[in-house]
Amino acid sequence: MEEIEMPEGMNPEVLKHIMNPQNYGKLTDPDGTGVAMDDKTGEFVIFTVHLSQEGISDINFATNGCQDTVVVGSMFTEMVKNESVEYAQGAITKIEEKLGVLSPQQKICADMVFNAFVAALINVANLAQGKKEEIHIIKSEESCEVAEGDSNE
Amino acid sequence: MSKLYQVKHELWLDILYASFATGDKEIKDRLYDFSMIAFRHMKWLGESLLEAGSDYNYDRTKRLQKRRCTFDLFNDLIKEVKTAQQEYNGSTLISRIVTDENYFVEYLTLLLADSKNNHKLTAFDLHRTLPNKKLDTVQTHSLTMFLFEESYKEYELILVYAYMQARTDNLLHFNVFQDLIDESHFHLKSFGNMMAQMGILALPRELHELTYKITDISQFIVNGIKEEENAKEQCRALAEAVNDTELSQFFDFINYQENYHIELMTKLLPESI
Repeated sequence: MEEIEMPEGMNPEVLKHIMNPQNYGKLTDPDGTGVAMDDKTGEFVIFTVHLSQEGISDINFATNGCQDTVVVGSMFTEMVKNESVEYAQGAITKIEEKLGVLSPQQKICADMVFNAFVAALINVANLAQGKKEEIHIIKSEESCEVAEGDSNE
Repeated sequence: MSKLYQVKHELWLDILYASFATGDKEIKDRLYDFSMIAFRHMKWLGESLLEAGSDYNYDRTKRLQKRRCTFDLFNDLIKEVKTAQQEYNGSTLISRIVTDENYFVEYLTLLLADSKNNHKLTAFDLHRTLPNKKLDTVQTHSLTMFLFEESYKEYELILVYAYMQARTDNLLHFNVFQDLIDESHFHLKSFGNMMAQMGILALPRELHELTYKITDISQFIVNGIKEEENAKEQCRALAEAVNDTELSQFFDFINYQENYHIELMTKLLPESI
């Protein structure tokens, strides 16, 4: 994947993800469902995953958040689909490096994506332990509502 | 969940985005009128499903067809209408829908009979310029991001308010939802046409049910007001950034409209009843 240009965010790769987000939507009968929720703004990212012995056989995400969230979610799911869970966890670091310098809002958006994915894996683990949990929710500690002047934009 | 509702939802978007994609003013306007009729079909269908104790959601599966010329677009629309009609039963509402759609197909068939109506489409070619406008790279990027962000938001608002409107018994709320839906239709139309002019026309992404199944209306309104304020700021910043009188005036105009949206939304708060 070429270097992603954020916050301008308008190289052809980014435009492709904005116009046609990959793995967007929800899976039927997922093995795990995770949500990252920002109570302050009502923004969420939700992941559904299908796991097989080899790893992540299918993955979908959805959000009511901004385009930065969509781009990161689209790139991340593309990167981890059909890969092992261990690879996917490492991919969070890889994609953070790829994104480079982000504004505080963009960093929070990216973290919401990663947290939702982690929440889906926690949901898988909880269900495997017999816990009744429809969705695992991680509340965001920070909100993308950043005070004026804090942004790099 | 209703498959028919999903088909009608997708057909509404097909016609609406065909209107945005089309350059010919007269055909664009007719398609837009038909898209609004299709939206009302969807609304009435939703109401009839609820009355019958059934339900619907906003799931979609279809993607936007990026056609090269208007005739491909028109032929595609005729096929979509015929496909939708395979789902129909015999109710009075469906009879009305079929009559409307048959007239729409006749209109498209007439357009297809005259080769003068066949034009190259540039709505999807990513040229990212506006006619008679000189925008630099940063201005173009800002405008592109704004249009994607806000076209999604307007689509989201239309559907969320329509979902809530279909489920309220409160007349004040019903009317406020209708006003907000009408306003968002206008904004989506404005942004969609601008996206097509720039060659970046794309469907807004699908809504997840967490977006429209509202459990706490007060929190929803508070968040919505913050979003409106954010949209106002984006409009203001864009009006300043584009450095073009006509565009700046347009984004200021949209910005000032958001003030009244906030006023309308405040009427939905429980303490204002």
